[in-house]
Amino acid sequence: MDNKPWLVSLAYYLASSRKYQKTKDFFYNLLENSHYKYNKFFNIFMIIVVLVSVTSLVIDVQYDIPNWLNNFDLYFVTIVFIVEYILRIWVYSDIKKIIIEEYEERIFFGKKLSLIRLYIKIFKNKWIYISSLPSIIDLLAILPSYRGLRALRVLILFRAFKMLRYTKSLTGFLDVLKRKKTELLTLFTLAGFFIFIAGIMLYVIEGNKNPHIHNLFDAFYWALVTISTVGYGDIVPVTPEGRAVSMLIIATGVGLIAFITSVIVSAFSERISSLREEKVFQDMSKKRRLTVLCGYGLLGRLIAKGLEKEKIDFIVLDIDEKMIALADNDGYYALNADATKSKIFEEIGLKDNIAHVLCMTSDDIQNAFIAVNVKSLNQDILVTARCSDSDVAKKLEFVKVDHIIMPEDIAGKMGVVYAGEPAAFEVLLSIIEHKNKTQIDEINITAGSSFDGKSIKEIDFNSLRLIFLGVFKANKEMGDFGSFIFNPQKEYILHGGDKLVCIGYQTAIANVKRMV
Amino acid sequence: MQKNNIIIFGYETFGQYLYESLLDADYSIKIVSFDDKSISKAKEQNIDIIKIDIKKDSDIQSLDIDEYHDLLYCAMPKTADNLFLVLTLRALYKDAIIIAMSNSHENTRKLRYAGASNIVDMYEATSRRVVNILTKPAVTKALDEIVYKQNRLKMAEIKIPKNSPLVGKSIEDVDFKEMGIVLIAIIDKDLDHKFSFTDHRINHRLDENDTLVVVAMRDDLEIFKSNLTNR
Repeated sequence: MDNKPWLVSLAYYLASSRKYQKTKDFFYNLLENSHYKYNKFFNIFMIIVVLVSVTSLVIDVQYDIPNWLNNFDLYFVTIVFIVEYILRIWVYSDIKKIIIEEYEERIFFGKKLSLIRLYIKIFKNKWIYISSLPSIIDLLAILPSYRGLRALRVLILFRAFKMLRYTKSLTGFLDVLKRKKTELLTLFTLAGFFIFIAGIMLYVIEGNKNPHIHNLFDAFYWALVTISTVGYGDIVPVTPEGRAVSMLIIATGVGLIAFITSVIVSAFSERISSLREEKVFQDMSKKRRLTVLCGYGLLGRLIAKGLEKEKIDFIVLDIDEKMIALADNDGYYALNADATKSKIFEEIGLKDNIAHVLCMTSDDIQNAFIAVNVKSLNQDILVTARCSDSDVAKKLEFVKVDHIIMPEDIAGKMGVVYAGEPAAFEVLLSIIEHKNKTQIDEINITAGSSFDGKSIKEIDFNSLRLIFLGVFKANKEMGDFGSFIFNPQKEYILHGGDKLVCIGYQTAIANVKRMV
Repeated sequence: MQKNNIIIFGYETFGQYLYESLLDADYSIKIVSFDDKSISKAKEQNIDIIKIDIKKDSDIQSLDIDEYHDLLYCAMPKTADNLFLVLTLRALYKDAIIIAMSNSHENTRKLRYAGASNIVDMYEATSRRVVNILTKPAVTKALDEIVYKQNRLKMAEIKIPKNSPLVGKSIEDVDFKEMGIVLIAIIDKDLDHKFSFTDHRINHRLDENDTLVVVAMRDDLEIFKSNLTNR
């Protein structure tokens, strides 16, 4: 196969080069991927470049600009724009794939590769991008750099347009208008129709009487100025018939403008919640190991507080809009969504992002529904479900819910502790609810740390100011940890991967955590 | 230790769980309710249940509550009912121990003001547990064994009796560990019945009537308790 054309060889070479792919990915993310962290910086940089260049071109109209600024505009800005233009064409599509596909198809059919056909195919592919509106604007924005033709200066307009690309809020605005396309189109057609009629009438009535109306264009201009209630007053009707036409289109104009304004405003207010949602999705997609909290009732709120304290990334879902408003107010990411449907989880990013789902609505059946939904979508997601009924708990176990929480049961058990041991209960509450600075915590021993291989006696928890409760032995086969060894003997040797459960003052625990 | 009588007001979910858990612990339990549904459910399960009207003091008085020995659990599903019940009970029995169920921080405050001796905040404990599952799985498991399962390990309080060999010793002199006991906190009778954790700070000298809060295996605990007096 040595008689491959050089183009095909190159395509194969690039396809196998990871460095090339990485570079291309980097530029793609930088230019097009708004989730990429440096994309923002690139956009800001481009906006500054555009602003500087537009400012210098505008000043240049009346005043002399310093030579360095002129050079800056001529060379730096132009080069940046050209490089950007080329990069965008480059990252738009994958040519080497086209080349390789075409080549292999030809080989398969035993035909000879036609290079011209290939070039045309490549060109057609890139042409889709080149002929798209943003690309045309980019190209036109480069042209004002050519100083020979003063007329090209008009094209700085396109540099300003170019800014649209870098600001999401502006594109968002256009999106909003796009959504109301039909309404706006109808209204503008109606306005156009009135202008057309009024213009023609005025031209017919006053075309030869009014000294300011020279042609039909003047009449249309007058109609637009009048209907929009701008009313410059440079052209005014001079005949009673002309004035009658004015009165008519002024009345229409006021109504029309109010109408258009209300359409745009309503489009925005409709969009506000979804814009907020989009922002939530965007922020969420950056997070890994996300916890989804379904239900923002009394329990949900407390859990949210706890999660926030532990710095766990989470998002609140609730079907009640009021609850979502509440969560939003509390400063959490919240979406008004039905967690029993798969859609919302797919949107958040089922495969990579969600680590844990907490079903904490006050309705057992809902919780079971959510749990089944999540587990059926992805078994690996840990699910913790709340329920009050022990019969429901059995069903939850059946669908392999990882943790079942029964608030009444927990409280009941605590009530029992109280029955026999009120003092112990106080201590327990303090530990569990973190009422005191003394708390219960776990300490992971990393292999090779100062605790690895030492006996309990050697570690001397007393001098570390910790109450040592017990240890969970590392269990590699299970990937989890084994059963709880309470208060092990003094000779017990600790190993890397073991987890110690201790009670102690916050700082004492933090201190030991640093040691291991 | 004197076995208390336990009276549970309310036999909805929480009351049921409480009852079941208390059964294992072998107490004499009275269940009281005013809700017909839960009364019929209790009857189905062959559980004695007394119907009262919580608004009537005479009904409550007819329960023969011994305010020095009985434990009163207010486990009505509605906080308003619990609050009213706590008020009534407190007015009738000044020294009774009343434990009330709460579902929020706010209600805890109200119940406490109404005179509940102690409050179990259902959601507070639950939410803490849910968060622990995420962040501290080992702690969750350990607490499970100590508090929620209670079949092997037990958290207990032990009052040091007169003439106990422990009296006069300091905590560091006693090898609790060897006895299978983990001492968590201590309540000094001189110090206003506030507990302090035994993690550090003070080397406490044990006196009679001090209370030790410990975690231990059930067997070890029994041995420890009997040793307290015998030796």
